[in-house]
Amino acid sequence: MPALPLDEAGKYVAAAYLVFLALILVYVAIMAAKLARIDRELGELADVAEGRTHPAANPPGADAGAGQDAGGGAEGNVFERERSSREELV
Amino acid sequence: MKLPSLRVNAIAAALVLSAGFALVFFYAPLDADQGFIQKIFYLHVPLSICALAGFIVGGLLAIAHLRTGDPKWDVRSYVAIHLSIIFGVGVLITGSIWAHASWGKWWVWDEPTLVSFLIVFLLYATYYPLRYAIEDRDRQGRYASVFAITAGAFVPLNFIAVRMAQSLVHPRVFATANGGLPGSMLLTFLVCLAGMALLWVALVRFELAAKSASASLARLRRALEGEPEIPAQGSRIAPSVPSGATSVS
Repeated sequence: MPALPLDEAGKYVAAAYLVFLALILVYVAIMAAKLARIDRELGELADVAEGRTHPAANPPGADAGAGQDAGGGAEGNVFERERSSREELV
Repeated sequence: MKLPSLRVNAIAAALVLSAGFALVFFYAPLDADQGFIQKIFYLHVPLSICALAGFIVGGLLAIAHLRTGDPKWDVRSYVAIHLSIIFGVGVLITGSIWAHASWGKWWVWDEPTLVSFLIVFLLYATYYPLRYAIEDRDRQGRYASVFAITAGAFVPLNFIAVRMAQSLVHPRVFATANGGLPGSMLLTFLVCLAGMALLWVALVRFELAAKSASASLARLRRALEGEPEIPAQGSRIAPSVPSGATSVS
Protein backbone atom coordinates (compact mmCIF):
# COMPACT_ATOMS: atom_id res chain seq x y z
CA MET A 1 0.00 0.00 0.00
CA PRO A 2 1.52 3.38 -0.93
CA ALA A 3 2.33 5.84 1.83
CA LEU A 4 -0.46 8.20 2.78
CA PRO A 5 0.02 11.86 1.91
CA LEU A 6 1.25 13.96 4.80
CA ASP A 7 -2.02 15.79 5.37
CA GLU A 8 -3.90 12.51 5.73
CA ALA A 9 -1.21 10.65 7.67
CA GLY A 10 -0.82 13.60 10.02
CA LYS A 11 -4.35 13.12 11.33
CA TYR A 12 -3.71 9.50 12.20
CA VAL A 13 -0.36 10.22 13.84
CA ALA A 14 -1.86 13.09 15.84
CA ALA A 15 -4.76 10.86 16.88
CA ALA A 16 -2.42 8.12 18.10
CA TYR A 17 -0.28 10.47 20.16
CA LEU A 18 -3.34 12.30 21.53
CA VAL A 19 -4.89 8.99 22.58
CA PHE A 20 -1.72 8.19 24.51
CA LEU A 21 -1.69 11.62 26.10
CA ALA A 22 -5.38 11.36 27.00
CA LEU A 23 -4.85 7.92 28.52
CA ILE A 24 -2.07 9.17 30.76
CA LEU A 25 -3.98 12.33 31.68
CA VAL A 26 -7.12 10.39 32.60
CA TYR A 27 -5.07 8.03 34.75
CA VAL A 28 -3.27 10.89 36.47
CA ALA A 29 -6.58 12.73 37.00
CA ILE A 30 -8.11 9.66 38.65
CA MET A 31 -5.06 9.26 40.87
CA ALA A 32 -5.12 12.98 41.71
CA ALA A 33 -8.77 12.67 42.76
CA LYS A 34 -7.86 9.74 45.00
CA LEU A 35 -4.99 11.66 46.55
CA ALA A 36 -7.25 14.69 47.09
CA ARG A 37 -9.70 12.44 48.94
CA ILE A 38 -6.87 11.02 51.06
CA ASP A 39 -5.66 14.53 51.79
CA ARG A 40 -9.16 15.64 52.83
CA GLU A 41 -9.63 12.63 55.11
CA LEU A 42 -6.19 13.18 56.61
CA GLY A 43 -7.20 16.75 57.40
CA GLU A 44 -10.36 15.48 59.10
CA LEU A 45 -8.32 13.03 61.18
CA ALA A 46 -5.86 15.75 62.09
CA ASP A 47 -8.80 17.83 63.35
CA VAL A 48 -10.01 14.88 65.43
CA ALA A 49 -6.52 14.34 66.85
CA GLU A 50 -6.12 18.02 67.68
CA GLY A 51 -9.51 17.96 69.37
CA ARG A 52 -8.28 15.14 71.61
CA THR A 53 -4.93 16.74 72.24
CA HIS A 54 -6.66 19.97 73.29
CA PRO A 55 -9.86 18.55 74.83
CA ALA A 56 -11.17 21.85 76.13
CA ALA A 57 -10.86 23.32 72.65
CA ASN A 58 -8.95 26.35 73.84
CA PRO A 59 -10.89 27.28 76.97
CA PRO A 60 -10.63 30.90 78.07
CA GLY A 61 -7.20 31.60 79.47
CA ALA A 62 -5.75 28.32 78.30
CA ASP A 63 -2.35 28.30 76.73
CA ALA A 64 -2.46 27.25 73.08
CA GLY A 65 0.65 25.12 73.55
CA ALA A 66 -0.65 23.28 76.61
CA GLY A 67 -2.31 19.90 76.65
CA GLN A 68 0.54 17.71 75.49
CA ASP A 69 -0.49 14.89 77.79
CA ALA A 70 0.39 11.25 77.47
CA GLY A 71 -2.55 10.55 75.15
CA GLY A 72 -1.63 13.44 72.92
CA GLY A 73 1.91 12.23 72.77
CA ALA A 74 0.73 8.79 71.73
CA GLU A 75 -1.40 10.28 68.98
CA GLY A 76 1.55 12.36 67.93
CA ASN A 77 3.54 9.16 67.68
CA VAL A 78 0.84 7.68 65.46
CA PHE A 79 1.14 10.63 63.13
CA GLU A 80 4.90 10.40 63.25
CA ARG A 81 4.81 6.71 62.35
CA GLU A 82 2.40 7.29 59.49
CA ARG A 83 4.47 10.16 58.16
CA SER A 84 7.71 8.20 58.25
CA SER A 85 5.90 5.29 56.63
CA ARG A 86 4.85 7.47 53.73
CA GLU A 87 8.28 8.99 53.44
CA GLU A 88 9.69 5.53 52.79
CA LEU A 89 7.84 5.54 49.49
CA VAL A 90 9.56 8.42 47.88
CA MET B 1 19.09 -1.19 45.92
CA LYS B 2 17.86 2.29 46.62
CA LEU B 3 15.79 3.72 43.79
CA PRO B 4 15.72 7.44 43.08
CA SER B 5 12.74 9.25 44.53
CA LEU B 6 9.40 9.13 42.80
CA ARG B 7 9.71 12.80 41.88
CA VAL B 8 13.09 12.23 40.20
CA ASN B 9 11.65 9.18 38.47
CA ALA B 10 8.67 11.13 37.15
CA ILE B 11 10.78 14.06 35.96
CA ALA B 12 13.20 11.69 34.23
CA ALA B 13 10.28 9.94 32.53
CA ALA B 14 8.84 13.24 31.31
CA LEU B 15 12.21 14.47 30.04
CA VAL B 16 13.25 11.27 28.28
CA LEU B 17 9.81 10.75 26.74
CA SER B 18 9.70 14.37 25.56
CA ALA B 19 13.17 13.99 24.10
CA GLY B 20 12.11 10.79 22.39
CA PHE B 21 9.03 12.38 20.84
CA ALA B 22 11.14 15.37 19.74
CA LEU B 23 13.49 12.94 18.01
CA VAL B 24 10.50 11.25 16.38
CA PHE B 25 9.32 14.42 14.69
CA PHE B 26 12.55 16.38 14.19
CA TYR B 27 15.31 13.80 13.80
CA ALA B 28 14.12 10.39 12.65
CA PRO B 29 13.80 10.18 8.87
CA LEU B 30 10.56 9.38 7.11
CA ASP B 31 10.08 5.72 6.40
CA ALA B 32 10.56 4.97 2.71
CA ASP B 33 7.58 2.62 2.60
CA GLN B 34 5.01 4.05 5.02
CA GLY B 35 6.02 7.68 5.12
CA PHE B 36 4.81 9.87 7.97
CA ILE B 37 2.37 7.29 9.34
CA GLN B 38 5.33 5.21 10.52
CA LYS B 39 5.83 7.78 13.32
CA ILE B 40 3.21 5.82 15.27
CA PHE B 41 5.77 3.02 15.50
CA TYR B 42 7.77 5.00 18.09
CA LEU B 43 4.72 5.15 20.35
CA HIS B 44 2.97 1.87 19.64
CA VAL B 45 5.94 -0.51 19.95
CA PRO B 46 7.45 0.89 23.18
CA LEU B 47 3.96 0.84 24.71
CA SER B 48 3.50 -2.81 23.76
CA ILE B 49 6.97 -3.83 24.95
CA CYS B 50 6.39 -2.12 28.31
CA ALA B 51 2.94 -3.69 28.63
CA LEU B 52 4.22 -7.20 27.92
CA ALA B 53 7.31 -6.73 30.10
CA GLY B 54 5.03 -5.42 32.84
CA PHE B 55 2.95 -8.57 32.70
CA ILE B 56 6.12 -10.62 33.13
CA VAL B 57 7.26 -8.40 36.00
CA GLY B 58 3.85 -8.95 37.59
CA GLY B 59 4.46 -12.69 37.36
CA LEU B 60 7.92 -12.40 38.92
CA LEU B 61 6.53 -10.33 41.78
CA ALA B 62 3.83 -12.95 42.22
CA ILE B 63 6.55 -15.61 42.55
CA ALA B 64 8.07 -13.50 45.34
CA HIS B 65 4.64 -13.37 46.98
CA LEU B 66 4.16 -17.13 46.89
CA ARG B 67 7.72 -17.77 48.10
CA THR B 68 7.60 -15.35 51.02
CA GLY B 69 3.89 -15.07 51.76
CA ASP B 70 4.45 -11.34 52.21
CA PRO B 71 1.38 -9.43 50.94
CA LYS B 72 3.50 -6.50 49.78
CA TRP B 73 4.60 -8.57 46.78
CA ASP B 74 0.98 -9.26 45.95
CA VAL B 75 0.24 -5.53 45.96
CA ARG B 76 3.22 -4.85 43.73
CA SER B 77 2.23 -7.64 41.36
CA TYR B 78 -1.32 -6.26 41.21
CA VAL B 79 -0.14 -2.73 40.46
CA ALA B 80 2.32 -3.92 37.79
CA ILE B 81 -0.43 -5.85 36.03
CA HIS B 82 -2.90 -2.99 36.46
CA LEU B 83 -0.57 -0.50 34.79
CA SER B 84 0.29 -2.98 32.05
CA ILE B 85 -3.39 -3.40 31.25
CA ILE B 86 -3.71 0.39 30.94
CA PHE B 87 -0.71 0.39 28.62
CA GLY B 88 -2.33 -2.50 26.76
CA VAL B 89 -5.39 -0.36 26.10
CA GLY B 90 -3.04 2.21 24.59
CA VAL B 91 -1.40 -0.47 22.46
CA LEU B 92 -4.72 -1.66 21.06
CA ILE B 93 -5.99 1.85 20.29
CA THR B 94 -2.77 3.15 18.72
CA GLY B 95 -2.38 -0.12 16.83
CA SER B 96 -5.88 0.17 15.44
CA ILE B 97 -5.22 3.72 14.30
CA TRP B 98 -2.00 2.63 12.61
CA ALA B 99 -3.74 -0.35 11.05
CA HIS B 100 -6.49 1.81 9.60
CA ALA B 101 -3.96 4.23 8.17
CA SER B 102 -1.73 1.51 6.72
CA TRP B 103 -4.11 -1.29 5.78
CA GLY B 104 -7.46 0.48 5.55
CA LYS B 105 -8.91 -1.67 8.35
CA TRP B 106 -9.15 -1.05 12.08
CA TRP B 107 -8.46 -4.70 12.86
CA VAL B 108 -7.17 -7.73 10.96
CA TRP B 109 -8.21 -11.06 12.43
CA ASP B 110 -5.80 -13.25 10.47
CA GLU B 111 -2.71 -11.42 11.68
CA PRO B 112 -0.98 -13.40 14.49
CA THR B 113 0.65 -10.40 16.14
CA LEU B 114 -2.59 -8.52 16.62
CA VAL B 115 -4.67 -11.48 17.69
CA SER B 116 -2.03 -12.80 20.08
CA PHE B 117 -1.76 -9.45 21.81
CA LEU B 118 -5.54 -9.30 22.08
CA ILE B 119 -5.54 -12.79 23.61
CA VAL B 120 -2.92 -11.74 26.18
CA PHE B 121 -4.87 -8.56 26.92
CA LEU B 122 -8.16 -10.41 27.38
CA LEU B 123 -6.40 -13.02 29.50
CA TYR B 124 -5.22 -10.32 31.86
CA ALA B 125 -8.62 -8.63 31.75
CA THR B 126 -9.89 -11.69 33.65
CA TYR B 127 -7.43 -10.90 36.46
CA TYR B 128 -9.82 -8.33 37.95
CA PRO B 129 -12.90 -10.57 38.16
CA LEU B 130 -10.67 -13.33 39.56
CA ARG B 131 -9.63 -11.11 42.43
CA TYR B 132 -13.12 -9.68 42.79
CA ALA B 133 -14.69 -13.13 43.08
CA ILE B 134 -12.66 -14.12 46.14
CA GLU B 135 -13.59 -12.59 49.47
CA ASP B 136 -10.81 -13.96 51.63
CA ARG B 137 -7.73 -11.76 51.27
CA ASP B 138 -5.17 -14.52 51.69
CA ARG B 139 -6.81 -16.79 49.15
CA GLN B 140 -7.33 -13.84 46.85
CA GLY B 141 -3.63 -13.02 46.95
CA ARG B 142 -2.56 -16.63 46.42
CA TYR B 143 -4.94 -17.26 43.54
CA ALA B 144 -4.06 -13.96 41.91
CA SER B 145 -0.36 -14.81 42.21
CA VAL B 146 -0.86 -18.22 40.62
CA PHE B 147 -2.75 -16.54 37.81
CA ALA B 148 -0.06 -13.86 37.39
CA ILE B 149 2.70 -16.49 37.21
CA THR B 150 0.84 -18.67 34.72
CA ALA B 151 -0.19 -15.79 32.53
CA GLY B 152 3.26 -14.22 32.85
CA ALA B 153 4.83 -17.43 31.56
CA PHE B 154 2.35 -17.41 28.69
CA VAL B 155 3.54 -13.97 27.50
CA PRO B 156 7.04 -14.97 26.26
CA LEU B 157 5.72 -18.28 24.91
CA ASN B 158 3.11 -16.36 22.99
CA PHE B 159 5.73 -13.92 21.71
CA ILE B 160 7.97 -16.74 20.47
CA ALA B 161 5.04 -18.48 18.79
CA VAL B 162 4.10 -15.31 16.98
CA ARG B 163 7.68 -14.72 15.83
CA MET B 164 7.73 -18.23 14.40
CA ALA B 165 4.41 -17.77 12.64
CA GLN B 166 4.18 -16.66 9.05
CA SER B 167 3.11 -13.08 9.21
CA LEU B 168 0.78 -11.74 6.57
CA VAL B 169 0.94 -8.01 6.88
CA HIS B 170 2.38 -6.97 10.25
CA PRO B 171 6.01 -5.92 9.79
CA ARG B 172 8.93 -7.62 11.52
CA VAL B 173 11.42 -4.93 12.36
CA PHE B 174 13.93 -6.41 14.79
CA ALA B 175 16.28 -9.34 14.31
CA THR B 176 14.97 -10.36 10.94
CA ALA B 177 16.88 -10.99 7.77
CA ASN B 178 15.00 -8.33 5.83
CA GLY B 179 14.36 -5.94 8.66
CA GLY B 180 16.48 -3.81 10.88
CA LEU B 181 16.25 -0.13 11.62
CA PRO B 182 18.77 2.43 10.40
CA GLY B 183 20.82 4.05 13.16
CA SER B 184 18.81 7.26 13.50
CA MET B 185 15.52 5.36 13.72
CA LEU B 186 16.99 2.87 16.20
CA LEU B 187 18.30 5.66 18.43
CA THR B 188 14.90 7.37 18.37
CA PHE B 189 13.17 4.12 19.15
CA LEU B 190 15.49 3.32 22.06
CA VAL B 191 15.00 6.77 23.60
CA CYS B 192 11.21 6.36 23.29
CA LEU B 193 11.46 2.88 24.81
CA ALA B 194 13.54 4.17 27.72
CA GLY B 195 11.08 7.01 28.29
CA MET B 196 8.11 4.66 28.20
CA ALA B 197 9.81 2.27 30.64
CA LEU B 198 10.54 5.14 33.00
CA LEU B 199 6.92 6.26 32.71
CA TRP B 200 5.71 2.76 33.54
CA VAL B 201 7.96 2.58 36.60
CA ALA B 202 6.92 6.07 37.72
CA LEU B 203 3.22 5.25 37.40
CA VAL B 204 3.66 1.97 39.28
CA ARG B 205 5.42 3.79 42.10
CA PHE B 206 2.79 6.55 42.04
CA GLU B 207 0.01 4.00 42.40
CA LEU B 208 1.88 2.14 45.16
CA ALA B 209 2.42 5.44 46.98
CA ALA B 210 -1.30 6.24 46.71
CA LYS B 211 -2.24 2.78 47.98
CA SER B 212 0.20 3.08 50.84
CA ALA B 213 -1.13 6.52 51.79
CA SER B 214 -4.67 5.17 51.69
CA ALA B 215 -3.74 2.20 53.88
CA SER B 216 -1.85 4.44 56.31
CA LEU B 217 -4.91 6.66 56.53
CA ALA B 218 -7.11 3.69 57.35
CA ARG B 219 -4.69 2.54 60.07
CA LEU B 220 -4.54 6.05 61.44
CA ARG B 221 -8.32 6.25 61.56
CA ARG B 222 -8.49 2.94 63.40
CA ALA B 223 -5.79 4.07 65.84
CA LEU B 224 -7.62 7.29 66.58
CA GLU B 225 -10.94 5.54 66.95
CA GLY B 226 -9.35 3.05 69.31
CA GLU B 227 -10.23 0.07 67.18
CA PRO B 228 -7.90 -2.92 67.04
CA GLU B 229 -5.79 -3.46 63.95
CA ILE B 230 -7.85 -5.77 61.80
CA PRO B 231 -6.89 -7.31 58.49
CA ALA B 232 -8.70 -5.79 55.55
CA GLN B 233 -11.75 -7.79 54.54
CA GLY B 234 -14.48 -7.43 52.01
CA SER B 235 -14.85 -7.38 48.31
CA ARG B 236 -12.62 -4.52 47.30
CA ILE B 237 -10.92 -5.43 44.09
CA ALA B 238 -7.51 -3.98 44.88
CA PRO B 239 -5.39 -5.62 47.54
CA SER B 240 -4.77 -3.53 50.61
CA VAL B 241 -1.29 -2.56 51.61
CA PRO B 242 -0.27 -4.35 54.81
CA SER B 243 1.64 -2.67 57.61
CA GLY B 244 5.31 -2.39 56.81
CA ALA B 245 4.78 -3.00 53.12
CA THR B 246 4.94 0.58 52.07
CA SER B 247 8.41 0.75 50.65
CA VAL B 248 8.56 0.49 46.90
CA SER B 249 12.30 0.69 46.55
